[in-house]
Amino acid sequence: MAQAAPQTGALEPPSTATPFQFPGYYSFPPFFTAQPNLVTRAAQHQKWSLLIQAYCRHNRIFVLSLIDALNSPLFHNAALNRRLSLNDAREVLNWMASEPGGNRAEWIGGTGKAKTGAEKVWVYWRRPEEWASVLEGWVDGTGQKGSVLTLWELVEGEATASQEFHGMDMDLLQKSLQVLVKRGKAQIFGQEDSLGVKFF
Amino acid sequence: MFLHQIDLTTALRPYLLPGEALIFVQDGVGLYEGKYKIPQYQNGHAYLTSHRVCYVDNEDPRQNAVGVDLKDVEKTEFYAGFLKSSGKVTLTPAANKRGSMQPRGQSPQIATGAGRRESSSHSVAPSPAPRTSATWVCVICTFSNLIPQGFDPASANSRTYLPPCESCGIKPELIHVVKAAIQAYRQSAASSDQSNDVQSPSSNTKKQTTKIICPRCTFANHLSMRQCEICDTSLATAPDPRLDLTRHEIRAASPGPALVNLSLNDESIKCIKLSFRVGGEKVFFERINTAMQQRKWLLHGAPPIPQPNEQSANGDNSSASDQKVRKLVGIAGLELREQTQRKNNELIIGNAFEDLEALITSAKDIIALAESFSSTAKADGSVSAEADSLVSQSVSQSLGLITTKDMLGSDSLYISELSRNLAEFLTDDTKGVLKKEGGIISLVDLWSVFNQARNGVELVSPVDFEHAARMWEQLKLPVRLRRFKSGLLVVQGSDRTDEKTIASIMSWLKDLHEFPPEEPVPWDWRTYGRGVTVQETAVRFGWSMGVTTEELEMAEEKGVLCRDQGLDGIRFWENFITEDPPQV
Repeated sequence: MAQAAPQTGALEPPSTATPFQFPGYYSFPPFFTAQPNLVTRAAQHQKWSLLIQAYCRHNRIFVLSLIDALNSPLFHNAALNRRLSLNDAREVLNWMASEPGGNRAEWIGGTGKAKTGAEKVWVYWRRPEEWASVLEGWVDGTGQKGSVLTLWELVEGEATASQEFHGMDMDLLQKSLQVLVKRGKAQIFGQEDSLGVKFF
Repeated sequence: MFLHQIDLTTALRPYLLPGEALIFVQDGVGLYEGKYKIPQYQNGHAYLTSHRVCYVDNEDPRQNAVGVDLKDVEKTEFYAGFLKSSGKVTLTPAANKRGSMQPRGQSPQIATGAGRRESSSHSVAPSPAPRTSATWVCVICTFSNLIPQGFDPASANSRTYLPPCESCGIKPELIHVVKAAIQAYRQSAASSDQSNDVQSPSSNTKKQTTKIICPRCTFANHLSMRQCEICDTSLATAPDPRLDLTRHEIRAASPGPALVNLSLNDESIKCIKLSFRVGGEKVFFERINTAMQQRKWLLHGAPPIPQPNEQSANGDNSSASDQKVRKLVGIAGLELREQTQRKNNELIIGNAFEDLEALITSAKDIIALAESFSSTAKADGSVSAEADSLVSQSVSQSLGLITTKDMLGSDSLYISELSRNLAEFLTDDTKGVLKKEGGIISLVDLWSVFNQARNGVELVSPVDFEHAARMWEQLKLPVRLRRFKSGLLVVQGSDRTDEKTIASIMSWLKDLHEFPPEEPVPWDWRTYGRGVTVQETAVRFGWSMGVTTEELEMAEEKGVLCRDQGLDGIRFWENFITEDPPQV
């Protein structure tokens, strides 16, 4: 298992120009072992959380598939021949999804207790509320208040190619727009596959 | 110098002279010089050895440890104790040792509370002045008023000023106060005359360590109170327990008179009394008499007991062979000498094992012989030489200070003496039990080594052993028992704390930043150093594997180390997860 090829992970988009610069602690072997000391463990979780967020941000990953991520460079340091085990990775993500972890993750379709390995998790390197603000700022900045945009336009359109939310997961986008709707800053209408949004 | 200062071992027991053997130990003992209590020598252990009687104080053993050589003792007396007065053993020095002393029987030195000072060679502190605690009870309101300072019932008359009752303000009748004063004087005089009364002061001192008991209403006041909170009685007579810290300040706390200070060089010591407050005086007395009859101290330095073969050699032809020995040289001479040596050994062993009595008297020879045998065996290259030597060494060394159950009055005393015995065993530099084990040894290992050292005699049961080990802390001995997370019990020097252990591990790990690892490693070893396995650590510090695991996990628990579970096992690293590594 340790010999598994590190680059099989489908998560690294080939489009990324520069490879992700891992932090120093990524090459500290004990970082990949679950620490029994609770204080140390908390610090470990914190560092993992930061690493996962930075990694996902760099690679524009919105949804992390646990089983695939295990073999990606994120959880597997091939140079050290160390990897985070499935259980430990799940624990880290659970911690990220929890209150002390800052709700930086959310399991898709449940709490991740189903140990099928097929669990997926939203990694909130920006939380939906933060995304909402970003979207609002963009709409404000480009003077599109009052205009109607389709969701597809928002994430895939050429106009947003330089924005952080370009290529965003559709469900996450909806979550973020819901926040704006609640704030009374937007309105969503339309059918399943042709949703539009109007910003106020 | 009848009474003299003695040396103590690390475990605060008397340091025995060569050839000296421990006979009996008793705790809860106080010392008297003649009739007077010797302050600071009122609660301690009495050790009876074949040569001496030693007193070691519980509170300040290093300071207050004295001994009396049995050779200086002329006679011993026994006092069985009566009511509150404890049993005592009196040791009277031999006549020549008190040459400068006044003849006995002349002017018995009694100091009572009334302030009669003796013109004796030592200054005697009067027992607490009675008037401070003397009270008269108001007939109107039954309030206990203090009898005024300077009130003398003998000279008091109708014109003597009497303060009114503090509670109701009614003036008392003179006769009433005089009666009360006389009664109080009589009581105090009676109690100080009975200087044997030791029960009350000893219990008194115990209480005073935490509270001051009001002499009038018995309310337990806080230490800092100068007056009783309930009845306003002055508490000044009770010695301030804080003053115990300053050893020079001495106050008589008991109704019995006490010496103001004890001069060890005082030639005029009349007799020394040991007061046995928790019993044991009878056994002590029996054993001391036996010891005095045996006069073992004469043996030390005396010529060895004539060898039986020498005696037999006087008559017959062996004397001729003796002469031959001197003449013969070369191989024949060596052989002959070997032969006589063997014959000699044979005799010693033969005699020694004839009966138990003989074995006891010739124990020394037998041990010497056993040692020479073991050294020969070692020279032959036999295995486990180290273990053997440890055993034989400790036999000869610990023989004198072995604690056995029959030496001691009670079971609890046995445990505490065993505890001291163990501490001595551990800290003995010549044996170096702790040092050999890297300063830490598991209790089970120690138990086995200790029982081996006792050589099959008076083995200690595991239960007693554990109890004894648990007493170290209480007895303030220089070793300590430690329980690891897993429940493993280990023994360490008490100066070796967790912090020190961690510091030594950390300094080692820090060194690993400086020296490159043997094989190239994928991480930056200048920043992170290197992880160490349990085995490496065990070798490095000379600990056993179990102990090492526990120590490393202890350090991990404290957040100093963290672990790395690799395919080749667990390695421990400096904790760079919680703390960022130093920038190189």
